[in-house]
Parts: sequence; C-alpha cells; structure tokens
Amino acid sequence: MPKQALPERFFIGSILLAFVMLVLATVGIKSQILENAQFLILLPSLLLVIWMGVKTGRLEIFTNRLRKYATGWLIAALTSAMVWSFAQKGTQLALPILKDLRKVWNTFEPFALFATAVFILFCLVLLVIGTRDSDLERPGYIESSLVNNLSSKIAAVPMAFTAFGIFIMATLWTVYHSFTNSRLLPKSELIGFGQYERLWSSDRWYVSIENLAIFGVGSLVFSLTIGFMLAALLDQKTRFENTFRTIFLYPFALSFIITGLIWQWILNPDHGVQKVVRSLGFDNFVFNPLYNADIVIYGVLIAALWQGTGFIMCLMLAGLRGIDQEIWMAARVDGIPMWKTYLRIVIPMMRPVFITTLVIISAGIIKVYDLIVAQTSGGPGLASEVPAKYVFDYMFGHQNLAQGFAGSTMMLVSVLIVLIPLAYLGFGRRKHG
Amino acid sequence: MNSIEIKKLSLNFDEVVVLKDLDLTIEKGEFLVLLGASGCGKSTLLNCIAGLLDVTDGQIFINGKNVTWHEPAQRGIGMVFQSYALYPQMSVKGNLSFGLKNAGLPKEEIEKRVKHASEMLQIESLLERKPAALSGGQRQRVAIGRALVRDVEVFLFDEPLSNLDAKLRTELRVEIKRLHQKLDNTMIYVTHDQIEAMTLADRIAVMRDGLILQLDDPKTIYNAPANKYVAGFIGSPGMKFLKGTILQNDKPIFKLEGGWSESPDLSNYKFQESIKTETQVWLGIRPESVVVGGEAKNMPVNFSLEVEVVEPMGADTLVWSQIGGQEFRFIIDGNISVNVGDRVTVGFDPAHVSIFDFDNEERL
Repeated sequence: MPKQALPERFFIGSILLAFVMLVLATVGIKSQILENAQFLILLPSLLLVIWMGVKTGRLEIFTNRLRKYATGWLIAALTSAMVWSFAQKGTQLALPILKDLRKVWNTFEPFALFATAVFILFCLVLLVIGTRDSDLERPGYIESSLVNNLSSKIAAVPMAFTAFGIFIMATLWTVYHSFTNSRLLPKSELIGFGQYERLWSSDRWYVSIENLAIFGVGSLVFSLTIGFMLAALLDQKTRFENTFRTIFLYPFALSFIITGLIWQWILNPDHGVQKVVRSLGFDNFVFNPLYNADIVIYGVLIAALWQGTGFIMCLMLAGLRGIDQEIWMAARVDGIPMWKTYLRIVIPMMRPVFITTLVIISAGIIKVYDLIVAQTSGGPGLASEVPAKYVFDYMFGHQNLAQGFAGSTMMLVSVLIVLIPLAYLGFGRRKHG
Repeated sequence: MNSIEIKKLSLNFDEVVVLKDLDLTIEKGEFLVLLGASGCGKSTLLNCIAGLLDVTDGQIFINGKNVTWHEPAQRGIGMVFQSYALYPQMSVKGNLSFGLKNAGLPKEEIEKRVKHASEMLQIESLLERKPAALSGGQRQRVAIGRALVRDVEVFLFDEPLSNLDAKLRTELRVEIKRLHQKLDNTMIYVTHDQIEAMTLADRIAVMRDGLILQLDDPKTIYNAPANKYVAGFIGSPGMKFLKGTILQNDKPIFKLEGGWSESPDLSNYKFQESIKTETQVWLGIRPESVVVGGEAKNMPVNFSLEVEVVEPMGADTLVWSQIGGQEFRFIIDGNISVNVGDRVTVGFDPAHVSIFDFDNEERL
C-alpha cells in the first residue's frame, strides 16, 4: 500500500511547497535559488507519479470508479456554475423569464460561486492525484480520503463551504486587495508592491513587529514555564487543589478588555503599585511601566501572563494527570530525583500537550489587540503598537484598506511560516508512532 | 539470615485501615508470593516494602538494616510493575541504564551490567528499540532487566504478568522461576492468580483485608488450608463445601445437613485438636480428590450419585451433582464418558478433606 501512497504524498508536499513559494513570491520575497529548488522538487515528483502509472501498465487516473466520482463532482460544479450564471445580469437580460426570479438567483449567487470552486477543486484533486494502489486494486491515499465514506463528506460540505469561503476566498481577496490602492472602499486596479513598500518603510510597523517579537517570546517562555511549574506544584497532592485551580483559572474568564483595564489601574503611578509603595514611606519609589516607552510592552506582557497562565496550567495539569503513576514509582525506585524525572521522563511524555499549548499560545500572541487597546491604546506615542492594531487602525481608522491588507498579509505569511512546520511536527508524526 | 523483616506494620489512609499490625519475615533467597483478591492490601504491602508509601506504624528491615524511612532507591530493591512503567522516550538501553547513570556509576560498569542483564533476559537484539516498538512480553522483560541491572538483593514484582495474554504469561512465569534459580535473590511477588502463586512460590502468604491468613509453602496451603477462605481461594476448580455436623461417639462421623444415606467415618482425618460432638462444620472436598468407578470402591467413603451437568475441559471433565440437596462437584478423567442422568459411584479418602468450623471458619 505505501508503495503508491508515498509518491502521492511527495507530490502533494511539493504542490504545497510550490504554493508557499507562490505566496512568498506574491508578497515580494523572490529568490532564484528558492524557485530553482521548488522546480527541482516539483518536477521529479510529478514524473514519479506518472512513471508509477506507466510502469503498472495503465494510468490509474482512468479507472472506472474514479471517473464516476470525478464526473459527479464535475456535474455538481457545472450545476453550481449555472446557478451562478443565472444570477448574472447578462443572463437575466437574455432570458426575460428569469427576471422575476432575480432576487432568488441573486441570493444563491455567493453560494453557487463557492460551490463551483469547491466542486472543481475536489474534481481536480481527484483527477490529478487520485491515483490508486494498482497492484491491490485499492484506492490510493488521496482517493480514499476523498471518496471513501462519501456521505460523511457530503455532510461536511457546508463546513467546507464556510472554511473555503472564510479561509481561502477571504484570504485571497485580502491578499489581492493589498496590491491595490483601495482607500475607504476596495478598488481592484493593481498598483504592484506600493503598499508593501510603504509598510516596510513605516516606523510604526517596525515598532509593532518588535513589540510582537518581545511579547511573543516573553509570553511563550513565561506562560509555558510558569504554567508548567504551577501544574507540577498542584500535582503534589496539594490540599485545596480545586480552590487553587479555580483561583488560577479565574482571570481566564475575564475578557482582555477587562484585564487591560485592571492592569492599567494597577500599573498607574497615581493609583496602583507605585502609590501604595510610596504611601508605605518609600517616597522615591518609581514603578510606572506603562508610561515608559522602553518597557511599556513588558507591562502589557504582565497582564497577558496574568490572564493566560492559569489556562496553560490547566492544560499542563491534565497532561500530568495522564501520566501513569507507576512511571513515578519506577523513577523513585531507580533513584532519579524529582526534577530530573520531570525533565527527562515526564516532559517528553507530555509532548502532545506541549504542542497543543504551543499552538494556543502562538495564536493568542499573533492576534493580541484588545489588551493593547484597553491598557495603553498603543502609547505612550507608538511604543506599544502591535501588528493587529496597525491593521485595524489603517483599515477602519485611517481609511486605508489596502495598507491594512498589506499588514494582515504579512501577518498571515509569518503565521504560516511558523505554524505549518509546527503542525507537521506535532500531528504528522502521530500516525507512525 | 533474614532478608526482609517486617515488624508490626500498620498503614492507614486517613480513616481507612489498610494494613494492621502485620509481621512478616522472609529469608534470604526465598521466593515469597503475596496472594489475595483485589483490595486485600497485597500491593499496598509491597509498596510499603519498596518505600513508595509511608507507613503509619511499624518497622521494615532489609538485610538487617532498618529502612523504614529510607527512600526507595536506598533500600537495595528492584521493582517490576504491572504496567511495565518503562520510560517511553528512551530506548531499551536507555531504560536499563538511566538509573545507573543517575547514580553516577562508571560507564564500563553500566555497559557490563546492561550486557549481563540483556543476555540473561535475551533482549540483546532489542537494545536500540523504543518501548512502543516492543510486544507486551518484551516490555516486561525490559522492566525486569531494569530491576536486574540495579544489582540488588531483593526483587519486588507487582502483578507483573497481569497485562499479558495467557500464553505469554505461562512462558514468562517459567522464565521468572529460572531467573530466581539462577540469581538466588530474595523475591516478593504480588499476584491474584493462584496458579502463578503455586508454581512460583517457596512460600505463599494468602492475604485478606490487610491480614495474612496463612503463610506456608504451596503444598501445605493446598493440602491443609488454615481456613475456609484460603481453601476456597486456592485450587481450580475450587473446593466444594458441604454443611453438616460431626457426631463424636467412639469415632467421628459426618452428618450432612438435609439428610444423606451415607454418614462418612472421619477417623483417619487428622484433627488439629479433639473435637466435641455435634460440632457444626464445613466439610471441604477438592474436586480432584474424588475418584470414580472401580477405584472408588477401594476408598474408605464411597457412594453413588446422579450426574446433573457435565463440563468437559479436555484433559478432565468437571461433573456437577448433588448430595442431600447440597451442590457437589468432582473431576474425572476426560476420557471417561458420562452423560447427564447417569448414576456414578464416587469415593474419597477422609484424610484428604478439610474440615472447618462452621462459625469462625478455621480449620479443625
């Protein structure tokens, strides 16, 4: 079975790679070496798939079952395309009967457009890479994942529409419009990389990125370590464990706006920590991170940690509880000190939990916005700006959609660069384990 | 010299008393099996010996040293767990050597011990594999190896074969026995499987509710169980008990409750002490000590009864019947054919039965 599945995977992998290259090229990161590398991988993998087909005497693409399914998807796509075309003005003018139904057709238009795209995609995937395991007459990797259990796949179609619409179409739309000169309303004339040039020459964007980097590294490192330490402490058969867990988790129930506001007050020199310490008699005590441009982002970091660590702790605690007590006993009999047991045995066993946590934290880092708005509004000056706030401000504050889109495209690219290998590491290896 | 000595050991979990005033002495090189149903405290006792549980009261000596408050690693023990408890991210070699490395042993010494243990357990070819790539039996071998490399006097086994299938269990059981003969270490082995206990043990301690009911060699436990619980627990199929009274005239006679034409003469049964007349008792007969047909005629007690249910088991056939309204069962050779409704002659020797007091269920 793996005989056929392996080149298929290789082929899909190279297509994905090509797509990433394309995205990189679109946003202006071009490199001859990368393109050559991409070509060098894509071509042999394509040849490999074709060679597999030729070697087994027939191109498996044209087996009956496959053709049947592909035809089905094509018909579905055509139907949707027809629905879409009926919604167009030209069609309605040509066929006057349709005029009365214009409203209905117009309602269906976006759905039909989605449907066409999804069905064509399914069909293409089936035809291009839906090869089969020729020796065993067994469906290949892609075909089986697309065609087997068809009813559940049909049930998933609404979800596929939504996902496709939001994650692909909206993304593509955004990326496209980042190459335009859209101001308040989207325009579709392309102007090239102007918006990106402006983006990368803006101080505000650089500050945002720097802040995101500090915030990101800080919250990743501290919420993982503090969260794990708290979980490890709570796992020592602590009395009142439930109470502690609730207390630690409590901030997570608050919205970022509230958290931001609370910490704005706590860190305010006239009301918060500084005031309290000064009124204890330390008259020269200074602690006002939110008013110091150099360290303001750390003030935000504290608030974010206060809110998020409890949740990380709960995830870690669940992970710790999943570890067999006999492992601990064995380590004790072996005379391994507790910290070493954690470090060398328990943490490696908690790999899946760590990866889940990592993904959750990373997503939280990238999208941090409301905390900043509530706590500092990006100030003092521009000192605590973050990319999400940059995008939002340009889109809705400065009436410069395209600039905002350029920023969000950059964010998307960085997320893809970080998350795709991570997800591959975390979930890909499972199957072999 | 005693290898392990337990004095007045008690353990409470809050209000619940798990072990109470338990005394146990194990000689050097002895293979002791702690046997009992689940919840009887046998694993708890083992964990106390290993130092994984803090005792409430009492003392534990290993090799003459009071180790009651020592850490498990300092007690000179190695332990094998039911779920193997291997470190999943390390190779077999890593599993074997991790504790030793941690104890700061020189590299050559670790190499030597790992080699020795893996040869002994025939896992040399698996050394580079991760536990996930091993079968259950192999994993348990590695777990035993991890105890072996510690080079200790005492081995503790906590139901090591319970997670294995029946065939592997018998294989590994023999291997543990061989290991014991080769190493001559003290071993304490917890199990709920009476066959494992009988085959492995030098002595068996049958436990119930945190108490040791009987501590004896397997033969004594089987032939002369100290009370009704032990008698019923050991042996498969289990002993059957008949309710009745003993009438002591010139010789002791068993009278079955519910009426029976026979009244077996028990004069060649070895009573612990002289017995009063009209004592209510349980008469326990092992299914395998009952004989049928021609042989039965030669037995001191013989009678005939009607077959009700037949359970063929291959080598033997288990036959269910009734005497005076009480259930009775016995084993006959698998080659003898019996049918439901047949009348067969059976007999037994009173020297081989067990008689227990009706009220306190102690052996009489």
